[in-house]
Amino acid sequence: MSTATTDQATGRYARSMTALLRGTLRLDVWINRVYPTDFNPLYYTGGLSNLFLLTLVLSGIFLFFYYEASLGSAFASIQYLTERVPYGGVIRGVHRYAADGFIVGILLHLFRNWFTDRYLFARDNPWISGMFLLLFAGFVGVTGYQLVWDERAQLLTTLVVAMLYSIPAAGQGLVHLLLGGVGVSDTTLVRLLYLHIGPASALYVFLWWHYLRLRHPKIWPPGVWTLFCVGLVFLLAGVIPVTQDAIPPSAPAARPTQFPMDVFFMLPFWLMNILPAGGVVALLVLLFVGGLAIPYLSRRETPAQMEVRHAGVAQVVDGNCTGCELCYYDCPYNAIVMVPSPGPGLTKAAANRTLLAVVIESRCVECGICIGACPFEALELPKLMERDVLNQVNLAMQT
Amino acid sequence: MRFAYFAAVGFLSALSLAFAAGILYGEGTDHWYLVGTMVGALLLAYSFIVLVLRKMGLVGPRKAER
Repeated sequence: MSTATTDQATGRYARSMTALLRGTLRLDVWINRVYPTDFNPLYYTGGLSNLFLLTLVLSGIFLFFYYEASLGSAFASIQYLTERVPYGGVIRGVHRYAADGFIVGILLHLFRNWFTDRYLFARDNPWISGMFLLLFAGFVGVTGYQLVWDERAQLLTTLVVAMLYSIPAAGQGLVHLLLGGVGVSDTTLVRLLYLHIGPASALYVFLWWHYLRLRHPKIWPPGVWTLFCVGLVFLLAGVIPVTQDAIPPSAPAARPTQFPMDVFFMLPFWLMNILPAGGVVALLVLLFVGGLAIPYLSRRETPAQMEVRHAGVAQVVDGNCTGCELCYYDCPYNAIVMVPSPGPGLTKAAANRTLLAVVIESRCVECGICIGACPFEALELPKLMERDVLNQVNLAMQT
Repeated sequence: MRFAYFAAVGFLSALSLAFAAGILYGEGTDHWYLVGTMVGALLLAYSFIVLVLRKMGLVGPRKAER
């Protein structure tokens, strides 16, 4: 009975994922009618996130020069930067809107790769690192709002402390670590500054991890989208200045109970209206752990169910390999390495080779790209030999 | 269609010129947020010019790579 229920659930999940895949591909086709395919923004969601991250870093460096991390000066230094420093308010706005753009880019990238199955098998590595990128981006965003040290920051800090306290065993220590004592002090602001810049720098470490197994990652959007996105954040920074919220500075006597929302970073705090702090922490942990587990729990269909022949790991035909490196450059999964050739090949083209291609089996996803890349018939998928494919094509042509 | 593309490039270029003039005006009168807005609008206009040029086939990948 339970097996039948599980099968039904799996079937429903598979059907809904297939529907999402079709929807995503339909959206691709629709956008390709408007934009040339090499300009389709959905193909560059990762690159767009990268662009927003660079914008954040550059604008953040500018803001850092003027920021003073102490209870008495934090708000005043930001006010000075916004009102007195030429273009300070605009750069602050750029920092704020680029942060929103970064989260939007990451979420689009995440959903697109999820719906198009680009998280399975060898692609679990970028998926896992991507989840950490999202987690750290959210954390950096929250600490960014705290650094302003206005009434919103004061209330946010209270809510963060409540969330940390709800963590069993470690809560007390984490609160002490965040505040730098039993209560909010100048040390808290210094720690918040480091908790903003440190994890922001760590984003680049996660990016390195993200790209580790990708041969040709599209790390930058085309010029048209670079101009558009940078233009958009400048336009928003000019038209909707960050000062429009007009939140008063934090004061010990102030007891703020609400603040203007930023849906991209403050949703967990909004949830505290309907859930206890511990419930929100549990939900965030569940979402993160669930996200990490997706590549391992949600294998949609087996290759047989997908009607794709299981072709076997690519194998190098030693005698034919010329060491030309074409397969090495074309493999998107870094599954081929070039090693010094132990001896000459058997064919005329391979007689003077100095290198030999070797397939790393654990990385090969049996996609067959290397077969297409090799002009010397030196690679084969053992269960889908080139001659079999040619025979099938000939047969199809005859019928 | 080609005339429409040329017209679009011409219109966007004229608009860009107006935005550039807005930047100069904002800089001269210390309206920093206006300058930010104009820089953003100028970059957006440039992005649409690049898009139209790409649609016309004047920029982008070579024919053999399309």
